[in-house]
Amino acid sequence: MTIPLVARIGVLVLATTAFYGYVGQMVPQSEVQPPEEIAIRADLTTPEMVEIGREIADGKGLCRTCHTIGQSGALRFPDLAGVAGRAAERVQGLSALDYFAQSLYEPDAFVVPGFNPGMPTINRPPIGLTDQEILCVIAYLQSLGGTPTVTLQTSHRYYAAPATPGAAPPDAAAGAPVTTPAAPGVPGTTPAAPGAPQKPEPGQPLPLTRPPAEPAPAAPARGAVTR
Amino acid sequence: MKNRKLQFLLGPVLVLVLFGAVVQMASWLMSREYKEPYGAPAATVDSTPRAAGLADEKADTEARAKAKLYEEAEYRTFPVVGSRVAIWSVAQLHLLFAAFVLAVPLFAFIIEVIGYKTGDLRYDKLAHEFTKLLSVSFSLTATFGAFLTFMLIALYPKFTNYLMSVFSPTFLPYVLLFFAEAGFLYTYYYGWGKFHPLVHLGLGLGLNLVGTAIMFIANAWLTFMMSPNGVSDTGAVISVMDAVYNFTWMPINVHRVIANVAFGGSVAAAYAAFKFLQAKSDEERAHYDWMGYIGNFVAISAFLPLPFAGYWLASEIYAYSQTLGLTMMGGAFSWLFIIQAVLIGNLFLAANFYLWLGMGRVEEAQPLQKFVKYLLIAIAICFAVWATPRSIIATVSELRAMGGSAHPVLGFLGVMSAKNTAVNILILTTFMSFLLYRRTGKVATVPWAKTGHAAQLTIFAAAAIFVIFLGVYGYFVEASVRIGLSVPQVGSVLFAMVAITAIDIFLFRGAKTAAVRWGRVPASSQYVLIFIAVTFTWLMGLMGYVRSGLRQHWHVYGVIRDNSPDAFTPTLGFATQVVSVTVLIFFFLIGFVFWLASLHERAEHRAYAPSPRKGPHTGVDVVLDGARLSAPNVEGRTGLS
Repeated sequence: MTIPLVARIGVLVLATTAFYGYVGQMVPQSEVQPPEEIAIRADLTTPEMVEIGREIADGKGLCRTCHTIGQSGALRFPDLAGVAGRAAERVQGLSALDYFAQSLYEPDAFVVPGFNPGMPTINRPPIGLTDQEILCVIAYLQSLGGTPTVTLQTSHRYYAAPATPGAAPPDAAAGAPVTTPAAPGVPGTTPAAPGAPQKPEPGQPLPLTRPPAEPAPAAPARGAVTR
Repeated sequence: MKNRKLQFLLGPVLVLVLFGAVVQMASWLMSREYKEPYGAPAATVDSTPRAAGLADEKADTEARAKAKLYEEAEYRTFPVVGSRVAIWSVAQLHLLFAAFVLAVPLFAFIIEVIGYKTGDLRYDKLAHEFTKLLSVSFSLTATFGAFLTFMLIALYPKFTNYLMSVFSPTFLPYVLLFFAEAGFLYTYYYGWGKFHPLVHLGLGLGLNLVGTAIMFIANAWLTFMMSPNGVSDTGAVISVMDAVYNFTWMPINVHRVIANVAFGGSVAAAYAAFKFLQAKSDEERAHYDWMGYIGNFVAISAFLPLPFAGYWLASEIYAYSQTLGLTMMGGAFSWLFIIQAVLIGNLFLAANFYLWLGMGRVEEAQPLQKFVKYLLIAIAICFAVWATPRSIIATVSELRAMGGSAHPVLGFLGVMSAKNTAVNILILTTFMSFLLYRRTGKVATVPWAKTGHAAQLTIFAAAAIFVIFLGVYGYFVEASVRIGLSVPQVGSVLFAMVAITAIDIFLFRGAKTAAVRWGRVPASSQYVLIFIAVTFTWLMGLMGYVRSGLRQHWHVYGVIRDNSPDAFTPTLGFATQVVSVTVLIFFFLIGFVFWLASLHERAEHRAYAPSPRKGPHTGVDVVLDGARLSAPNVEGRTGLS
């Protein structure tokens, strides 16, 4: 019996398609959900911030898409193991806290030698972390080879915590999720109230809002640091 | 006779069934709308407490209905498969047909030019035969395009509205160009042989220019979604020109033109293969063998530079956003490139296999066939390297034994240095297969033949060694240096291809040539052509998915977030299932196109035609060459069978 040509071709098309479909089932299967919003309570302790920072780094922050922890060799982006120990010495005049803040808010200001620029600005879309989430990420980074010190009341050169030290942000009662000041132009955020701490527009000089106890270093000129 | 009655009845029955289905669907859709509860007119019934209650209820419902505020729906749901899969499938089918409709005129035009320049009518006939596939495909492209637009408006109204607000200035040119394309296409096809050849070529050129312009406009919309430009952080339009000329627009334009030609060539070759396998005479077989060869030649010629266009696109994605680039190559989609490696590896293997089988057409092919095994070994090794993943799926104990998810030895083959090297060597090897095929049965007669051969071999070896050297060197340098090494790798392969071809052209000028016996190939070679077409189509579906899926939970990356229930990125297994089903639907429809195109060659059905006894002119004389006529009297008279 001769199999009709159309049937033979049909079987070939079906078999080829099925084969590629089968190959598709052989690779690891993971469904990637949109990042979940993490509620940040105003009374978080530093160890709790470290945990939340780790979650953000693995999820919404997309840090682990590029950065490794504890790997060596020809890496595409700097490895983060022990980064807390290196942070204070990376840029002259910048404390570890401000270095971390700068690498998140203004990542191209300093690029680790041997690497290409490529880090996105973390408080703007598509990642768009809030100031409180960034503080948690900084706490996590401080825990990598150091002792985390930041709290939700910590100010740095890109963010001023509410005026009263130790007080919760004005619109958050203890235990309630914090509504962070709006990032300019970020969809879904509300504009900051007049008088509330404002984040600088890209390219504008950065306000130095370090608490008085710790004298603020002069901000390095953009581009003064060689890559 | 009974069958004819059945066929006669089948038409109206089908119409009734379709009508019933439309009514049913309309009823179902209408039933989802709000309906007022029935209440008899108050004047016709006595007022009772129940009637008063019903009247109050009705008045209350009316009042609430009138007070209802207009709200723009953000999303609507498509039944059973969901909105995303519905849009995905329709968009993919639209793009596959559009790619075919844009590609075929491109190489039909080039073949027609060759025919015009050489005066060889075979080329003209071939170009005409390619365009036979166009008219139905064009209608299907437009139908799926309209379907896609309506579905976008219905299922994603808010997002579609946003895209329309950004790109509204591009819509009128798009529609006008579409009209122009329809005009050029049908005039080009129906005007074949009716105009001066140069006028006809002008129509072909116009068709290609207009088609390419349409694609460029549509590409602006989709690339904007991936790498938006010209808008503020909230999505307000600042510059439409910047929105059009975004980071990935031009790389996608170039990549699509090349990929469309490769895809169109492969589908046209599959058509030729189908006709070859159906052929009854040696003449038909010879013609369709030649047509299949040309189609495949077009496909593979376009396929060879495609990875270079892909590099450019990928580098622009990285330049726009490292996060997007790393999501593609190192994040959620990294394993997709292993599937891609399997597909491209198969394409290279199949294309080379077809060429090696094709060497049998030429007398005195044996001296060159001995090289095939070395080429096969090189291709197999490169394929294996390219398909090696960086991380191995393993059990806990295996992971412990390996010291991580990367295999201690094979893991080194899973990085870009090795993969770039493998794909460049694959391209060089396939190019050598082409070259061997080209010179099969030819003997160079120029006095510098020996030097020419030596120069070609030296260039090939130098390019291969250089590519491998850079691949190994990449393991020992920093990332910033390593990324740049792909450029000289690609450059050296391109240089080798151009230089060797240039030498070859002069080397074999006036060469002694053995006869090519078209049609003398095994039937398996034709199935290889169909396999290549299916693989190309599947590859297009897969890469279309990664381009679109890369945005993950964003409609417009970083600007308009996807808040629908489908905002998650599905598993690769699910994605490949959708691609597979779409490919099957495409081949079912393209089979329909092939069938319609083949109707051209069938004899006119003249069951009611006057018998030859009544007069000499029955109209059968003008029936196409080579057609098989069923009526014995006609067959006997015309001699066609």
